[in-house]
Amino acid sequence: MPLLRNGQWVDNNPWVRLEDEDALPTNTAGDAPAVYSLARFLESEKSGQHTTSGVWLSSTDNVLELAGKLDHVQLIVIDFPVYTDGRGYTQARLLRTQLGFSGELRATGDVRPDQILFMARAGIDTFDFPERPDETLITDILSRFTVSYQPSYSLPIAG
Amino acid sequence: MYQYTEYDREFLQQRVAEFREQTARKLSGDLSEDEFKQLRLRNGLYEQRKAYMLRVAIPYGQLSSVQLKKLGHIARVYDKDYGHITTRQNIQYNWPKMEQVPDILQELADVDMHAIQTSGNCIRNTTSDPLAGAIADEIEDPRPWCELIRQWSTLHPEFNWLPRKFKIAVTGSLKDRAAVQVHDIGLRLIKNGQGETGFEVLVGGGLGRTPYIGQVINPFLPAKHLLTYLAAILRVYNLEGRRDNLYKARIKILVNAMGIDAFREKVEQHWQQAGDSDDSFTQADIDAIKAQFPAAPTLGTVAMHNTKGATDTPVAPVSAQQPDQMFSNPLFNQWYQANTREHRDSGRRIVYVSLKAPGQPAGDITSDQMDALADLADKFSLGEIRTTHEQNLVLAHVPGVDLFELWNELKSLKLATPNLGKLTDMIVCPGLDYCSLANAGTLEIYDQIYKHFDDLDYLHELGDISIKISGCMNACGHHHVGDIGILGVDKGGVEWYQLTIGGNAGNEASLGKRLGRAIAKHEVSQAIEQILETYIALRNPEESFHDAVHRVGTTPFKESVYATAA
Repeated sequence: MPLLRNGQWVDNNPWVRLEDEDALPTNTAGDAPAVYSLARFLESEKSGQHTTSGVWLSSTDNVLELAGKLDHVQLIVIDFPVYTDGRGYTQARLLRTQLGFSGELRATGDVRPDQILFMARAGIDTFDFPERPDETLITDILSRFTVSYQPSYSLPIAG
Repeated sequence: MYQYTEYDREFLQQRVAEFREQTARKLSGDLSEDEFKQLRLRNGLYEQRKAYMLRVAIPYGQLSSVQLKKLGHIARVYDKDYGHITTRQNIQYNWPKMEQVPDILQELADVDMHAIQTSGNCIRNTTSDPLAGAIADEIEDPRPWCELIRQWSTLHPEFNWLPRKFKIAVTGSLKDRAAVQVHDIGLRLIKNGQGETGFEVLVGGGLGRTPYIGQVINPFLPAKHLLTYLAAILRVYNLEGRRDNLYKARIKILVNAMGIDAFREKVEQHWQQAGDSDDSFTQADIDAIKAQFPAAPTLGTVAMHNTKGATDTPVAPVSAQQPDQMFSNPLFNQWYQANTREHRDSGRRIVYVSLKAPGQPAGDITSDQMDALADLADKFSLGEIRTTHEQNLVLAHVPGVDLFELWNELKSLKLATPNLGKLTDMIVCPGLDYCSLANAGTLEIYDQIYKHFDDLDYLHELGDISIKISGCMNACGHHHVGDIGILGVDKGGVEWYQLTIGGNAGNEASLGKRLGRAIAKHEVSQAIEQILETYIALRNPEESFHDAVHRVGTTPFKESVYATAA
């Protein structure tokens, strides 16, 4: 699926989502890094089994459970089951401001061009579109506003 | 009132350009109706039974004369020559063409207006006291705080996709004219023992299918924390509000399911953790906004000197200083008593402009009336007009000496019906004639009642009494909080009406009690008459309808209505 990261299209997405019933990947060189569900991540984090990981959040997950556990997390994926479900915006914001997460924050699911400005302002830097949208439109959307009423939620860089 | 800065204007231009581009994509087929719907809703554009409807924001009910003229112009050029004032102090146009809406939004932006977030599951127009800055019993003018909330909530990146719509009301007065107890968040400006300004914060009030009176979540929030605290409430709601059932998605359901104490605890937790990282504002920010709301220049007796040439006369009530012709005119007197209120400056008077004239749909105002009223506002009320949630207008700063002239002018415009607060000053939702949600007509009921009670003397003898009419259980006509509430219901394709009595939206906020089974359309005004006759027979001297119902209960009213209607 096409990924837009910080305003740039990227084709290389090494991450693999690990279903809860899947076996853990062996941590040998060249293996794809895995994205865990929150529950599985918290469990494996306790045992300190891995060094690099991603976390996949459903819209009902409590992101504050990740407090203090983000040292080795490079990617957090926030699922938008339907684009009108706004929980992911608050999840993203809490991750960025209260948990200080500085890795990649990726929106997945029902990600539509007209939503990404708000997503970007909430702290999401990568968009996993279900299908590749018109690139000019994306640039327009991300650069359309040069002013806003919420200075602490910065405007995106349009790439 | 608030004057837009270049920053505000730039933002608005960008918003109009955005919607123009989205509309173009819709018209070319690149954007599905499903997706466009959410975008147009956040720009005030609904689809109704017969046409689109555009709801334009009037932030906390404040309009300049220039803006009112523009609203009249829009009605004339793009619609059917009228607009409808809503219970959120906004204005609706019922017949715009979708492809022209970007042009309408541009016309609005030209006078610093917009339709942002007047619908959709987001933070709606903040409402307030229509007498703000003019009434004497005010602790502090609420309008600067409303403006702060307007700016903060406009395209807030985190709170634009809430479980359901979200409404905030602010009052700065001891007497609640903003219905803060029936809002998602109600804010009351108060002072603590040290004289510091803060807010009593209420949460979880609301009407609709499951009406609730708001509960106190914070008895005294220092004013400087207003936005961070609002954000904490919104965060808990955004994360935990129900999204599985449209009718259980409002914050009132969440607050009542969790209990106010558990809800408060979660909010406080989020609030403490967030600190000032998001949504804080500085004293300079609010001071700059406050400076945009200067007090009306004091007239006191000065204006009297100008007209009468008198000097050194002590300040006296306006009524004592009027030319004889005014108060010897019984019609003027009646209007003065019903439609004007005391201003904090004895040289001025607050004037209500009734939009409930005989034969006129409640809350409607024509293009010509808007134009003329804008001129009157320039001449008599510092160029500003307010809308009220009871669907009337206010000229807040009229010099006492000008009242007679203003009354004559308003009369010629059919805007001086002396029925403010009286029985015929009804709140009415658009009902089945326009709205796709409605189960029953409301405009006919309004007409029926209006015609039945056409004797003004009777209405004045009756005193202040409110009738509120909703065409379905979504309660846009606020029937739960009317002295008499009328709810339209559909039974097998026939319109019936359910009556409630004893509701109140003010300081004594309470929900009306159902009187009994629903009645047929043709029985409504007769039933109202029975209720009123019962009230007149049992009331104590000076006793309001609300107090009488709460003293004696609903039984006498019930017996009277159903004895006749049976």
